[in-house]
Amino acid sequence: MNKRTARLRFPVVALAAASALLLSGCTSGGSGSDFATTTPTELSGTVSFWHFFSDREADVIQSVVNDFEKANPKVKVTVHPGQDDEKLRKAISTGSKVDLGLSYSTDIVGNFCSTGAFRDLGDVIKRDKVDMSQFTGTVKSYTEFNGTRCSMPVLADVYGLYYNKDLLQAAGFTEPPKTLGELETMADKLTTYNADGSIKTLGFNPTMGWYENAPSHYGPAAGAQWLNADGTSAIGTDAGWPALINWQTAYVQKIGWDKLNKFTSGLGQEFSADNAFQTGQVAMNMDGEYRTAFIKDQAPKLNYGTAPFPTADGHTDLYGGGYITGNIAGISKGSKNPELAWALMKYLTTDTAAVVKLSNGLKNVPTTHAALTSPDLEVSPQFKTFLDISESAHTTTTPPSPVGAGYQQSFQDWWNIYQTDPSADLPSALTTIDKQINDSIQLVSGP
Amino acid sequence: MKRRGLSWVGEHTVLVALGVLFIAPVIFVVLTSFMSSDQTLTASLWPNPWKWSNYTEVFTQVPLLRWFGNSALYAVLATVFMLVSSVPAAYVLAKIKFRGANVLFTAIIIAMLLPPQVTAIPVYVMWSGAGLTGTLWPLILPNLLGDAFSIFLLRQFFLTIPKEYADAARVDGCTELQVLTRVMIPMAKPGIAATGIFMFFHSWNDYFGPLLYTSENSDWWPVAYGLASFRGIHGTDWGLTMAMTVLVMVPVVVIFFFAQRVFVEGITMTGVKG
Amino acid sequence: MTATADALQSTLGVPTATAVRTPRYRLRRRLVTLALLTPALLGLLIFFVYPLIASVYYSFTRYDLVSPPEWIGLRNYEYLFTKDPKVIIAALNTLWFVAIMVPVKIVFALLIAGLLARARAANGVWRTLFYLPALIPPVASVVAFVFLFNPATGPVNQILRLFGIDGPLWFNDPAWSKPSLLLLAIWVMGDIMIIFLASLLDVPREQYEAASLDGANGMQKLRYVTFPNITPVLLFALVTGIIAALQYFTEAAVASGVASGKAVVGEGTGNNLGYPGNSLLTYTEWLYVRGFSQYQLGYASALAVLLFVVSAILLVLLLRRFKAFTPEGAF
Repeated sequence: MNKRTARLRFPVVALAAASALLLSGCTSGGSGSDFATTTPTELSGTVSFWHFFSDREADVIQSVVNDFEKANPKVKVTVHPGQDDEKLRKAISTGSKVDLGLSYSTDIVGNFCSTGAFRDLGDVIKRDKVDMSQFTGTVKSYTEFNGTRCSMPVLADVYGLYYNKDLLQAAGFTEPPKTLGELETMADKLTTYNADGSIKTLGFNPTMGWYENAPSHYGPAAGAQWLNADGTSAIGTDAGWPALINWQTAYVQKIGWDKLNKFTSGLGQEFSADNAFQTGQVAMNMDGEYRTAFIKDQAPKLNYGTAPFPTADGHTDLYGGGYITGNIAGISKGSKNPELAWALMKYLTTDTAAVVKLSNGLKNVPTTHAALTSPDLEVSPQFKTFLDISESAHTTTTPPSPVGAGYQQSFQDWWNIYQTDPSADLPSALTTIDKQINDSIQLVSGP
Repeated sequence: MKRRGLSWVGEHTVLVALGVLFIAPVIFVVLTSFMSSDQTLTASLWPNPWKWSNYTEVFTQVPLLRWFGNSALYAVLATVFMLVSSVPAAYVLAKIKFRGANVLFTAIIIAMLLPPQVTAIPVYVMWSGAGLTGTLWPLILPNLLGDAFSIFLLRQFFLTIPKEYADAARVDGCTELQVLTRVMIPMAKPGIAATGIFMFFHSWNDYFGPLLYTSENSDWWPVAYGLASFRGIHGTDWGLTMAMTVLVMVPVVVIFFFAQRVFVEGITMTGVKG
Repeated sequence: MTATADALQSTLGVPTATAVRTPRYRLRRRLVTLALLTPALLGLLIFFVYPLIASVYYSFTRYDLVSPPEWIGLRNYEYLFTKDPKVIIAALNTLWFVAIMVPVKIVFALLIAGLLARARAANGVWRTLFYLPALIPPVASVVAFVFLFNPATGPVNQILRLFGIDGPLWFNDPAWSKPSLLLLAIWVMGDIMIIFLASLLDVPREQYEAASLDGANGMQKLRYVTFPNITPVLLFALVTGIIAALQYFTEAAVASGVASGKAVVGEGTGNNLGYPGNSLLTYTEWLYVRGFSQYQLGYASALAVLLFVVSAILLVLLLRRFKAFTPEGAF
């Protein structure tokens, strides 16, 4: 009886084994079409555009996309908003769904350029004679990796200090702080308590990991380095990080971690109208230039000012700089409409009217010289601060790496825990982080 | 006599206390769903005023109807496909002796007990090669080829049917297929219904599967995944979030009340026999 | 609801002597058998056997889904066992759920089932009341619990304040996040409570009466009558509970996402997993982060293979004992 079933079983197993070998060889990047050798004269078809913005910000993107469609009547753009890096990556890796992808940060550049997930744009840039000098130096550096340019900058985010003018004046301050020491002194005076001793309002919230408090944003305050020239971690050997860590953890311990954590847990969500700075629960805060748009939309009566973020005591020469990162766009490996994607990308990144419109709507910093100096650019006094920071020589970014933002994540995770109990030996802890980062880089791209 | 009375009071006091604790979360959730966003952040426990509009707003803020449709599609199709493929297999494993039956059954037990994450990656690569990621099909289609847990359950149910019925049918001249369809399935109806209901809820409640396969495509989000993502997009509006939570809970409770007997019988049978 | 012993014994029905056993009949039967089994067989091969083999293969490669897999030998395993800073945390977290959540849930379910049985409240309203939370989609119950236990504005801490107790930070405190999920697990213990209830009610009354006649007191009756009769069900709950704890993902992931209050703007789900402070990072979450957030699918496959080995060992150990305990014997 069983000979038959036995005989049938073998082919089935063989089939499974064969398919195993077959499938293991196949990649899922999708096979896309190539760029043309000469610039196409007429553009027609459908192109898919994936980006991370949502709600109000997505509407701004849509209006610029509509302008593009008007200028190219035969082209239809299908927009996919709300796609974070994880989802974007998934879509790019699993086929041809994404033509043009816009990421909120430069983290994926290192990986996407080296694996080809975003295409190399070198040839089409030359072909269409795109002038790369219209972008600032830092901006160019974070959109390429190891000589391969696979992305273009689409507006930048710059970080600085926001301060509540009313609260500061009430406490007798007319100027924002310029050093971390001043920041702490002013914040102490601005902090108020409830009858039971719990915090009512904070002058400044030093909790690492809350809102935009991240090591990457603080680094420039002490000129701290992330990676060495060879791509290995520099955290353990840099002198800037211990200065920042010690200041921050000392301040946290001074307020009291439990008290601080309890207060922080009850604060509103960062991008909702209950944002703690917008409600006045926190008098001074580290945030990006886009916050000016949110305040205009959600808390228009707030009397606030902006300034470069204070530097560490002893690094006062760095004042005026800050952290810059950008939204970046790239054309996916599996795209079947690379020319359309390239046309849309050029429009979004180099067309001055488009860049200015995007900047005015999102309140992000433009990345081309023409847009920065355009008379159509709406510049409120608070926004001007960030334009200045973006041009400062002391403004730095987080370098691209094959592990993407992994190295930042490792450091941040450690710092988030260290601030609750800063008793461990700091130098050896930082050396351990170095080793962890180097190990994970090795795993991903070592020989 | 007195002792009996005291123990009754004692037991029921504990029951009531526990009952209150168990129903309290649901009550709070429902109450909060009628509060305005500001009020949810205060100490008040009773909505004032009653914001009925939370329930309509929730449908306009997100494509909730579509998400419900996706969940329904996923759950219904998965259940139907599973029944079509698993009932025959379970019958064979329960009633028909053949060499390798034990090996096959052991394999099914292992497949059923292993964490899905163990096989998730190659299966994902397979589906991305087929171009179906970004949809719910990778979660629905495999049920056409049987579901290990369901096969196990159904087999247990089929085991409880005395073999005399099948024998009698064969004597009457029925083919094997007819024995299955005319005799066994009707007799195992409660078990089949219970297994179907399990599959339905398993699919309706699934989070990891949609996270893996549909996170980048909100057109295909089922309601469970949508709820988890909702809070991220829409800030601290707890009122809205709780309204959505209630809406996600309701269909399950409604179905339960209609299918109560089948349901409870099914679960107890599997547990007691399993 | 009572099983007939003969039905269970006659599991493998073979046609009786009264049916005509021609070779043609036998052949047809085999074909039909095969046809009925084919979908399941194919399913096992494609979705179980093949992925297991492929996972092992991938675990020796470096694979990011965009480029073909690149063979790197044992590097992934070397990293797993010596250099991965989070895998130990993740494994310990999962073990916490296995070792603590499972027994606590079972004990509670048993206690409540016992209470229902004793109070003759086994049917209707009470049973439904304790069972309903188990039906709610886990995502919904987690979202509800995170809201209820919000340290500043949630009802739980507000009520505690009424009693003068300063409630902990629950889902926002690394020391309290897992216990908070434990409370959730207790709330949804209905699915095994119902099974315990049925089993308790199934214990033959005669055995209790016989024990009483022999002079046994309450405790002794529990130990010598109740417990042996419900052991199969206890083990069933234990096995299924451990399986669920090994894969624990949804509740931890959603709790972290909702409690961290981070708008998922730009980063992705993977970044929030484990909040607060890695306390909710389970092994399967770490697998997901490595595989689908950082796109190191080769390394994630190594994690998957390790999970398979550990699960297989645990299950073999458990199932062996299970077989020994069932009154009816082997499967």
